[in-house]
Amino acid sequence: MSILNPMNNHILSTLSEYITTEILKQPNRSLAPDQPLISGGLIDSFSLVDLALFIENTFGVHIEDTELNAETFDTLHELSEIIQTRQS
Amino acid sequence: MTLQHILYFTVFTIVISRLSHGLFRHYLLLTGSLFAVFWLQPASSIRNLDFWLPVVSIGMVVIIWILTQPKNPDRKHKLRLEILIISGVVTFIGATRYFGNLCCLTATRPPPIIQIIIVLTILGCFGLLLQHFSQIQKSLLWLAGILIIVIFILLKYDIYALHLSQFLRNWMGQDPSLATTSDLPWLGYSYLAFRLLHTIRDAQGKKLPDYSLGEFTTYALFFPALTAGPIDRSERFIRDYRSPSQETNRNTWIGLQRVLVGLLKKFVLADSLALFALNSQNANQVGAPIWMWIVLYTYSLRLYLDFSGYTDIALGLGAIVGINLPENFNAPYFRTNLTAFWNSWHITLANWFRAYLFNPLTRFLRGGNFKLPVWPIVLVGQITTMTLIGLWHGITWNFFIWGLWHALGLFVHNRWTEWRRRRIINIEIHPWKQKYISFFSWLITFHYVTLGWVWFALPGTDISGRVFSTLFGLGS
Repeated sequence: MSILNPMNNHILSTLSEYITTEILKQPNRSLAPDQPLISGGLIDSFSLVDLALFIENTFGVHIEDTELNAETFDTLHELSEIIQTRQS
Repeated sequence: MTLQHILYFTVFTIVISRLSHGLFRHYLLLTGSLFAVFWLQPASSIRNLDFWLPVVSIGMVVIIWILTQPKNPDRKHKLRLEILIISGVVTFIGATRYFGNLCCLTATRPPPIIQIIIVLTILGCFGLLLQHFSQIQKSLLWLAGILIIVIFILLKYDIYALHLSQFLRNWMGQDPSLATTSDLPWLGYSYLAFRLLHTIRDAQGKKLPDYSLGEFTTYALFFPALTAGPIDRSERFIRDYRSPSQETNRNTWIGLQRVLVGLLKKFVLADSLALFALNSQNANQVGAPIWMWIVLYTYSLRLYLDFSGYTDIALGLGAIVGINLPENFNAPYFRTNLTAFWNSWHITLANWFRAYLFNPLTRFLRGGNFKLPVWPIVLVGQITTMTLIGLWHGITWNFFIWGLWHALGLFVHNRWTEWRRRRIINIEIHPWKQKYISFFSWLITFHYVTLGWVWFALPGTDISGRVFSTLFGLGS
């Protein structure tokens, strides 16, 4: 439902660009919104902390240290939903 | 847990799932967990310790609940009943001292009932006193956290454990010269300590949900997960606990299947492999490299089957009563790198250390004004986390080196991944080539982990060194 939301698209593209450029170092790569990031081995523990700091600076949303795991979010879509919920 | 324990627990969980709902289920699970703390506690050569250690476990849980939960007048009635159940169970188990041969719940005869009543009265007064000091709750939480860690160190460090044993023997009027480091077999303390520490940290961050004393006690001392985990989070456990899955037949069937798988892994496969697995006796006897590799591979397999078998039993028992405990293993020996291995081996312990140590430390070093390059931050984070995971198993040089072994492995994998990502962009790898790469990655990861067990399995660095020499044909 929220995939069609323009705000959601903006968050998804910003997150995707950050992950492919800064974490994966493959700017031409594309990530599907439902692609497993943590359980799929794309993002390790160290990069997760960097991602949390990026989200804090870019969207003004705090992701707790206890939330940096695949159980809380594992895909761009899930992460985007968390950001939107906390922004509203 | 023995087969007898597992059989009784299975019957008990089926009875709960069939016959009880709502509050009655809550009180039954609470009572069952309290009884299990005493029943599972092994005997000690220090008089009555097998009774007092469970009492201290329960006392710690009650104190942490008082310190972490705000006063709620709405649950006053429920609280009274829960306190009555907790003190009632302790008193009843103490009273089995007078039951003669009927006594079966504690490893040895409990202490005289008057001693138990005095201790319970002191604990009650202490609890009431704590409730009145809510203004210094923050300091008390820190103090409680430090105390939990201090007890942990006392139990895990042989020299301190010996001093503590001598002290307790003196106190009980027993000969202190007979004290040994194995006198303090505190059942499940490692897991209980981590559950309580997580509760303290989350309370300090004001992230704890509201729950009753009974709910918290059942979470901290939940009988399936008491001896070998998993280390669940209180808010997740209590969410399941309050709204268990209602598909009773399906839960029972799935739970029983999981228990059976666990029994097969633990009591048939792991216990059989234990006959050939690496230990301090055969480490000194085996001389041929090929046989040393065989006992090491066997140990690697046995350890996984033993530990994951226990987890299957815990998860199965939990599932029968509608509580889905978190998974602890996810095919760790099939992983193709060390980072993936640690995402699938003892998952709840690794997640605990990530949440409360690695992530805050890395966030502090990355987010502050240090302007450090990435590599020292990764190195510091991995060494701190992994050596502490090692020392959690026991404060010895071997566990420390085992932690360091994995820290360095994770660091090298992190740097290697970073290096590869920077240099290898958009290179299409043929599928059969990818298969070879995956196979060799798996081979290296499995052997790195398996060689790491040489530190983990043996009591000293000299004997581990000897095993390494034999493995690589360097022995004299």
